[in-house]
Amino acid sequence: MSKVIANIRLFFQGAVLSYIALFAWLRPSTYIATKVVGPLAQILFFTLMGKFGTSGESADFYIIGNAIQITALSGIYGVTFSLAGDRWNGTLPYLFGTPANRMTMFLGRAVIHIIDGMFGVLIGFTWGVTLLGLDLSNTDPWALILVIAVTTFSTSGLGLMLGSLSLITRNVMFINNTAYFLLLVLSGSNIAIDRLPSALQAISNVLPLTRGIASARAIIDGATFRDVRPAMLEEIGIGIIYIMFGYVLFRWIEVLAKRRGTLEAM
Amino acid sequence: MKPGMLKAYIHVIKLAFIFTLKQSMTDAFILFGIFVQPLLIAIMALFILGDQGDELVIFIVVGSGLTGLWDSVLFQSGNSITRERWTGTLEVLVAMPTPIAVIVFGKNLAFVTQALGSMIVAYTFASIIFGYPLSIESPMLFILSIVLTVLSFVCLGLVLATLFVLNPDVQRWQNGLEFPVFILAGFLFPIAILPMWTTPLSYILAPYWAAVALHLSSSGKPNILEMGLPWVMMVLLGVLYLFLAFWLFRKMLFKARVDATLSGQ
Repeated sequence: MSKVIANIRLFFQGAVLSYIALFAWLRPSTYIATKVVGPLAQILFFTLMGKFGTSGESADFYIIGNAIQITALSGIYGVTFSLAGDRWNGTLPYLFGTPANRMTMFLGRAVIHIIDGMFGVLIGFTWGVTLLGLDLSNTDPWALILVIAVTTFSTSGLGLMLGSLSLITRNVMFINNTAYFLLLVLSGSNIAIDRLPSALQAISNVLPLTRGIASARAIIDGATFRDVRPAMLEEIGIGIIYIMFGYVLFRWIEVLAKRRGTLEAM
Repeated sequence: MKPGMLKAYIHVIKLAFIFTLKQSMTDAFILFGIFVQPLLIAIMALFILGDQGDELVIFIVVGSGLTGLWDSVLFQSGNSITRERWTGTLEVLVAMPTPIAVIVFGKNLAFVTQALGSMIVAYTFASIIFGYPLSIESPMLFILSIVLTVLSFVCLGLVLATLFVLNPDVQRWQNGLEFPVFILAGFLFPIAILPMWTTPLSYILAPYWAAVALHLSSSGKPNILEMGLPWVMMVLLGVLYLFLAFWLFRKMLFKARVDATLSGQ
């Protein structure tokens, strides 16, 4: 029983401390620039391009797509940096030297970012409604929040996997940036999935966010959660698969780094 | 300034340029900004802007290349002094007889020049992968516009570099400044679709005039008079940025000496 309590404590302490450590440099202006103004500019950029273009999609298509995609700011960058930060700050050997449960430690890194990511999406929708006239009158708010929560979870799963990669590569920013922009291209946030070539549609199908964005559009269009439940179950499944991949990678890197003595190799 | 001094400065700019180019070509973060991101933006723009003829494709190629140029100015040129601080080389550079502004100018020139690669990548991609028959309608005007674009962007980079060192609160807005300039400079859509009150903001940005000049010369056959306004504006703004940058450099070095914070974070 005490072991369970210790693991729960480790889970939550790890979650909070890794978030605090990540944002040690945080000042309100940084947070506002990154999580409030940046997403607004991204939504505006793609919505205005969509208005100028002739692809036939409505402004709402881009507003919803980008508002949901913003969860990748926390899910990809935040979660990855939470893991990579241990390497940069030299705390990785201590981390791997402890007898702490690795799964608890690993999952804890994503928790606060899931909450923060959901908050980011809500900010995105606030911009959409107040500045761009997004109509939520047919929307079941609880269903939308549930979709946001599930999508943020699955995106954080990808973030955990990429975070594990950051323990063996110096180019974590390259990986993160590429993942973020590939999600912009392939998740349906800016290009309707059926317009993509079939090979890219297949990739899109195994990415987090794809089903979340489609479900959010359906919910805002008046669908109920029951309508999008199968897609959401798949989204959860995708998130779990990424987490499992990430965890296996995390353990493998630990073993490999200990064997080779390259725990802090840069 | 004595002619010998000018020659020495040009030599320093050349060395800083070559050294920065070699160093940054191994930096994956820089390579992403130059090659990957503009390419992905070009792909999205090709889908979003739809099939409006070949003229629009060259507009997209130039526009997405400009996003790479702006990213380079914002994230590389903007950090060109801060990075010296991180690596502990700022004191040495400041103590040299060559003004640090000259060295930073050479560095920024390298960042902006290599960012032109983003336009070449987008061009190659659109013509080979998507099979669009792309051509620059007015090549000579385009080349001259590119030269003015590079110089005005370098000057803007000098302002950002000093501003970010002098005021870390401004640097915290770095991430938030990427897309707003994409919008205000009209890289991928005309600023006419923006509210009127944003127009003066566009006019004080050299990237806006660069986009006007490059889009005009790549998509049509403008006469010299039509090109005159964006060219003159780029020169004027470049000179203005340069004066502002030198004033900020002096302020930065004075403050660093008074507060003894040259290497401070």
